[in-house]
Amino acid sequence: MLEARDDNAAAFEELVVRYQNRVITFLEHHTGNHDLARDLAQDVFLRVFRARKRYVPGAKFSTWLFTITHNVAKNALRSRSRRPEINLEGRESGAMGIRPLEAMAQVSSGQIPARALDRAEICDVVRMAVQSLNERQRMAVLLSKFEGMSYAEIAETMDMSIQAVKSLLSRARANLHDVLAPYFDQENHANTPDEPASN
Amino acid sequence: MENDPHQADHPQDTVPEDEQLVAYLDGELDDESARQIEQRLTSDSALRDQLSRLERAWDALDELEQVEADVDFAKTTIEMVAVAAEEEHQRDVEQQPAKRRRRWLIGFTGMAAACLAGFVAVWGFTPDPNEQLIEDLPVIQKLDQYQQIDDIEFLLLLHKHKLFPPEADDDEA
Repeated sequence: MLEARDDNAAAFEELVVRYQNRVITFLEHHTGNHDLARDLAQDVFLRVFRARKRYVPGAKFSTWLFTITHNVAKNALRSRSRRPEINLEGRESGAMGIRPLEAMAQVSSGQIPARALDRAEICDVVRMAVQSLNERQRMAVLLSKFEGMSYAEIAETMDMSIQAVKSLLSRARANLHDVLAPYFDQENHANTPDEPASN
Repeated sequence: MENDPHQADHPQDTVPEDEQLVAYLDGELDDESARQIEQRLTSDSALRDQLSRLERAWDALDELEQVEADVDFAKTTIEMVAVAAEEEHQRDVEQQPAKRRRRWLIGFTGMAAACLAGFVAVWGFTPDPNEQLIEDLPVIQKLDQYQQIDDIEFLLLLHKHKLFPPEADDDEA
């Protein structure tokens, strides 16, 4: 990054190649939309380039990068929530049907039973569980899980206190558990062998 | 949560306890707090269940796929950055005359201030030769009389004993 800061084009390109997957993965799980994640990722690297002169030597680059990523994601979600458009992106109905969050809420509340899921469906369920978190909880979870950031690093990235991060992650993980628990229970039932019939 | 047996055991600290468990799982507790949690885990099955549930939900996130950028991503990103770099350069070039004017103005102001400071310093510290003359004027006016007497000690003695006659000029002054 120091070389990129000093206008070394090859160094900047190497940064993009090295971090592109991480940034796109993060943004896709955060926004729930692949195309949006790709566009936002390019926006992130553009902002990194424009802000390169402000990079402080010795600061951890990934923390700085994900601070910018966090701001880009937050702004995008904020402007998306203001637009009253309907998401018509074609999506194959998975485990949850065409209204996945609504279905998850019903499963969590016990209104409808969860059924045993295959691998792809589990992925869908987990993705929706993450989407069910609020923006800050989701951000903290993704930074912790995918970037392996410590509470101090998450606090710096999200401009919060460490205690606030601790509370946020605690609530997020409890919420994830609440949403996913019925599917874990169903998995347990599916994996339990049938009892032999008594004579 | 209402029927959570663990909550019945420790009703006063449900929320902080979750935080402690999550921090413990994340390796964010200090040694003493971690030790206390581990001690409680050995005897509290409900706490162990709670820990296991939190861990399982967390591990489920491993099901999320790692996304790979398409082959064009880096190329198009660098192209965008190149355009931004060109725009930045263009802005710098356009601002050159204004920057040059600003530099010239700053330089000129600095020189003028230095000249003024130098003038004040020289004027302030250089003694005015006329001042000395003004100070010595009473002596100069009576120099012919004083030159009659060579001995300054004798003059001081006369002054001390008030033997100098009162001067009409002094009265007029």
